[in-house]
Amino acid sequence: MSVEALNAPAAVAESTGALSRSGVLRRLMRDKVAALAAIALTVIALAAVFAPVVAPYDPYLTDLTKVMQPPSAEHWFGTDNTGRDILSRVIYGTRNTLMLGLVGVIIGGLLGGLLGILAAYYPRADGWIMRLVDVMLAFPAILIGLAVAAVAGAGLGAVVIALVVATVPDVARVARGAAVGVMGQEFMEAGRAVGVSDRTLIWRYLTLNCISTIFVFLTLRFGQIILIGSALGFLGMGAQPPTAELGMMAAQGRDFLFMAPHIATIPSCAIFVIVLAANLLGDALRDVLDPRLQT
Amino acid sequence: MGRQIVHRLLVSFPALLGVLFLCFCLLQVVPADPAMIIAGPEAKADTIAAIRNELGLDRPIPIQFAEYIGRVLRGDLGRSIISNKMVSEELALTIGPTVELMLGAMLIAVPCGLALGTFAAVRRGRLSDRVIMAISVAGVSMPVFFIGLILIQYVGFKWALLPFTGRTGPIWDGGLPSLILPALTLGLVLIGPIARLTRTAVLEVLGADFVRTARAKGLRETVVIVHHALRNALIPVVTLIGLQAAFLLGGAVVTETMFSWPGVGRLAVGAIVSSDFPTAQGAIMILAIAFLTINLLVDVLYVYLDPRVQRS
Repeated sequence: MSVEALNAPAAVAESTGALSRSGVLRRLMRDKVAALAAIALTVIALAAVFAPVVAPYDPYLTDLTKVMQPPSAEHWFGTDNTGRDILSRVIYGTRNTLMLGLVGVIIGGLLGGLLGILAAYYPRADGWIMRLVDVMLAFPAILIGLAVAAVAGAGLGAVVIALVVATVPDVARVARGAAVGVMGQEFMEAGRAVGVSDRTLIWRYLTLNCISTIFVFLTLRFGQIILIGSALGFLGMGAQPPTAELGMMAAQGRDFLFMAPHIATIPSCAIFVIVLAANLLGDALRDVLDPRLQT
Repeated sequence: MGRQIVHRLLVSFPALLGVLFLCFCLLQVVPADPAMIIAGPEAKADTIAAIRNELGLDRPIPIQFAEYIGRVLRGDLGRSIISNKMVSEELALTIGPTVELMLGAMLIAVPCGLALGTFAAVRRGRLSDRVIMAISVAGVSMPVFFIGLILIQYVGFKWALLPFTGRTGPIWDGGLPSLILPALTLGLVLIGPIARLTRTAVLEVLGADFVRTARAKGLRETVVIVHHALRNALIPVVTLIGLQAAFLLGGAVVTETMFSWPGVGRLAVGAIVSSDFPTAQGAIMILAIAFLTINLLVDVLYVYLDPRVQRS
């Protein structure tokens, strides 16, 4: 068997991935709820990226003559206790919240995926890696956030570390599960038999065949990661004032809940919409790409 | 069954050791020197050195870790820098309220989640199924504090139906009203995932042969669903509850902070804000151990619920 022929599994995975990409999109768009969620998430992401252009006011500009104003034509979401425009702050806050979620999911996904795949490929390392994963699982994300904030001080860095550490063990488990399945395939054995290097086997044979499972899982986790990040922000462990971050904005508004409930409820509502859209899209993607993950 | 529980305990041991090590590391890597904090800003060098010696901070790390485990086993978690009370005493006061809150939340979430999920499965494809599933997806996506804010704003403040700050006492001593809103906040978030999984599990079981047999025997539909379908569907649901333990603990920290509930989570957050490292370390350790314990209990329950696991 030639090495070219042995490259076939990875090549097949790549080509089917490329072929199915348009198919996946078409199937997603056929599902009305998923399409709506995808559109909502795209609009939110675009607004976050182009925040300086989209936001009607400077999110940090205080105006003590306009404190705690309810929603109006001038300020669609009203103003906060220092007269700042809440819509502008929500747009900037969404930027920080989305960024936290993305960084957590991407770094955590890469590290977790690597650990899981290495655990499946090297049986000797499996026990050690999975014990490490067990210890990491013993610390719920909020606790990690609290611990990091206790050590390094509250801030966005503490939240990022917490989100990464919270993502790694779950992804490692899923990646290991998927990789163990691939390890049992004949093409892996054939690759080994003709002396394909470990690096090629791990990357081209194993990783490329596990990527869709890991990707779907990360999409499903994205909403949860945003919830954890905003909860840490709410507890005061994340972004510090005056930085706009949705969880922290909700916490600040809590002090004025009875006088001006919109200050706390609008940022909370924004988190809800983002997470709902992410969850709905994640569910639809799972159904299309990897129904085995369905619960 | 006993052997399985012992085995599970042994498996939990490395995780427990890891938790203790990480908690121990917390005080090692904090930017401030605990001896300097205890001694105060005006202290002389020899006073700080004496405190370092007394606390064992000048000894090698492995010895310090061994001593730390010894102290934890004796229940000595150090003194709070702020209140100067023993951390173990402060924790003892807060564990009860946290357990009360989590049990209250589970008492709301589990029956509601099971009932809604089973109902949705039985009415599969109908409007009620879709409504229940839509509500559960919305519930999964809602931040705990959003639910808390709404409950405080309306039930607590506007309609003045229930108290929304602090804990008036244990439930058997007139404390039930003050528990309802925090428990409801935490419980409502958990209903969604439980209902969702129950629906999937019940649907799977409803297609099984033994359910068809039960129906063929002429059993009433309620008996078939409750005794045959739901009982078997409980196994994945119990696993999910274990998986949700992290969420439950995290949610408890937020809920306690919101409702000024005097639990471990609020103690931890307060200690971090005031740089009270020994208290923060003790509270984080207790929360992590609580998480391990919940998972252990879930595993034991799993063995009890599924006779196949007992036989294996």
